[in-house]
Amino acid sequence: MKIRTHEYMDIAREQLKEPNARAVLDFFPVILSAMRDAVYQSFEDPQAAIQACRDIRANAVARLPKLLEQFEEQAVKAGAKVVWAADSAQANAYIVDLAQKLGARHAAKGKSMVTEETGLNQALEDVGIAAYETDLGEFIAQLLKRPPFHIVGPALNVPTAEIRDVFLEKGVMDAPTEDPVELGRAARKYLRDRFHFLDIGVTGVNMAVAETGTIINVENEGNIRMCKSSPKVQVSIMTLEKVLPNMEEAMMVLRNLPRSATGQLISAYVSMDTGPKKAEEADGPEELHIIILDNGRSKVYADPTYRQALQCIRCGACLNFCPIYRKVGGYSYGWAYSGPMGQVLSPMLLGLDKTKDLYHSCTLCKHCQSVCPGGVEHPKILLTHRARNREKEPQFHGAGAPASLEARYRAFALAASRPKVWNVMIRGARTALNQKKQGGMVKELFGKPEGWFASRDLPPMGRPTFNQWIKEYKKHKK
Amino acid sequence: MTPISLHIPCLMNMFMPKTGKSVVRLLERLDVPFVYHEDQTCCGLPASNAGFLPEARKVAKHFMEVFGDDPVVVSPSGSCVEMITQRYPALFEDEPEWKARAQDMASKTYEFTQYLVDILGIEDAGGKFSGKVAYHESCSLLRGLGVSEQPKKLIASVKGAELVPMQNADVCCGFGGEFSHKYSEISETMVQEKVTNFINSGADVLVMGEPGCFLNISGYVSRNHPGRKVMHIADLLAGPIDS
Ligand code: SF4
Repeated sequence: MKIRTHEYMDIAREQLKEPNARAVLDFFPVILSAMRDAVYQSFEDPQAAIQACRDIRANAVARLPKLLEQFEEQAVKAGAKVVWAADSAQANAYIVDLAQKLGARHAAKGKSMVTEETGLNQALEDVGIAAYETDLGEFIAQLLKRPPFHIVGPALNVPTAEIRDVFLEKGVMDAPTEDPVELGRAARKYLRDRFHFLDIGVTGVNMAVAETGTIINVENEGNIRMCKSSPKVQVSIMTLEKVLPNMEEAMMVLRNLPRSATGQLISAYVSMDTGPKKAEEADGPEELHIIILDNGRSKVYADPTYRQALQCIRCGACLNFCPIYRKVGGYSYGWAYSGPMGQVLSPMLLGLDKTKDLYHSCTLCKHCQSVCPGGVEHPKILLTHRARNREKEPQFHGAGAPASLEARYRAFALAASRPKVWNVMIRGARTALNQKKQGGMVKELFGKPEGWFASRDLPPMGRPTFNQWIKEYKKHKK
Repeated sequence: MTPISLHIPCLMNMFMPKTGKSVVRLLERLDVPFVYHEDQTCCGLPASNAGFLPEARKVAKHFMEVFGDDPVVVSPSGSCVEMITQRYPALFEDEPEWKARAQDMASKTYEFTQYLVDILGIEDAGGKFSGKVAYHESCSLLRGLGVSEQPKKLIASVKGAELVPMQNADVCCGFGGEFSHKYSEISETMVQEKVTNFINSGADVLVMGEPGCFLNISGYVSRNHPGRKVMHIADLLAGPIDS
């Protein structure tokens, strides 16, 4: 998909004014986070359950190379073919090649963030293979040629009238309706027809279990299952951090995932597949290919501060609780991953130079971190992004700070470490600022009300400042 | 009683000197002895937030030199205390001697209401106010320091004050230092929502323990809802002063 991370504020500005985005963002994330809080109460100790998940993820990520080896061994033993891909191009080439060998005219896809990351749909289309998204939200987003709006609800911002129009236009249905159930049914029927002639299905992976070689998918519509059971050939693509040691730990993560994602105790469907169809089994793919994609993650793994970003389980809770996501929506983040998890991850994968707004547009309120079942400390990582960018860190392509900012913070540090200079500076700033006072408050500084002053006043600076006042006060007290 | 060393955040020193005076009045009323070092400047938080770590270190070192020998440091700002207790030690990974000082600093620095309630065991700080009070849970106090019950207890002890619930009290007001200026359109929608919730709560005043939130919310209120009242908790507890 097209990377637009550098257009963050342009998209955000549009989204802030978009009435439908506003309505959806005022509603869904708030409801989802309330449902999450409520459903966590089914644990005797909700905080302990979240902590257990965090520990499991941290331990798994710490042992990543070993677990991946074990997973590969077990998956191969169960009859799967395991392929390692260093980057998007390699992963896509493998799938395209496989589809071409099968003579496939179309491929069905179960909801997966990682194929958004690799741009698989485009790669398939480039060789004339149609890729169908089968998750309803992804399907709608695909027809409209839009990126996902939310990890859990990729099209929850699209009005039904717009869905009606695009369904009519693309022949998904022939009679107009705005009834959500009817729209869902039309999409389902349309996609089910395609499942009948399916040569190849592509899905993501929510968890991979090292001890058994099993891949686990979590969903509510059943389409991922169809992608896994209908075609002769199934490709499951996972990024390398998805692996967990054993079933027991996977089940603990599974208890957290739907709770955090959609406020459900468990999702409608959970499918677990160990290898392709066995001789005695009624359905399932004859071939199972598992692609383990790196795409920059081994570099993240090797970095002690960044490594914890790999603990993310893609539940989306951080989006729902992020007060900024709740304003700007998913498009603003400009790539597959949005909200706090995108702000953490995208700069690591795309480079600090191309993603500046993602790690600066944050108030460090820690709401994301407080709900994250993966144990990701987003604010800490965003601060590291900022520092590394300023230092021009080469590994992750730090670009350096603008000269004006350099000058400002050098002057700040100089003054703040010399009290006399500091106080002289404050007096100077006070004179300049207080000249602008209108009716008791400062309403603009640079000739027009912009930035802070577009919507807020600033009090004039104290004459005396507290520091000046207390000097006198102490004298009088003596 | 060991005297506390009073830290007045730079924003408060510059823009809210009255609140600083409220802190002083309150400490005197509660018989809490304190010292104030005139050499104090800033804790270095702005540089740390912007990713300017060598600069943040420089300012942090000054801070530790000023406050280093004191037994207890107390500050009416959640974000400064968060900086000192949580970021100082990490800043000096490569300088063991300073790291030890930072850890010591972290272990003896408290947010103002936290110190009053948790350490001194004060649950009634006095004060008078007639009306309904809503409390904004500043991110730095609530999630940064786990301070939430303490200020609420103190508010409840104010004569005539009734603490009323406010929707999304724990959601960020959109300050974030430079964020509020650089991403002002986003910040505006956030503070707007905060103020709407305050108005809908029916409270007469919105109280908080963080100078950053105070400047943000009161600045928005001053521009858009003049007549509405926003206060730092020290001002509520101390009661009105004239000068
Ligand atoms: S960062 Fe945490 S909260 Fe956000 S999607 Fe990942 S696991 Fe969920």
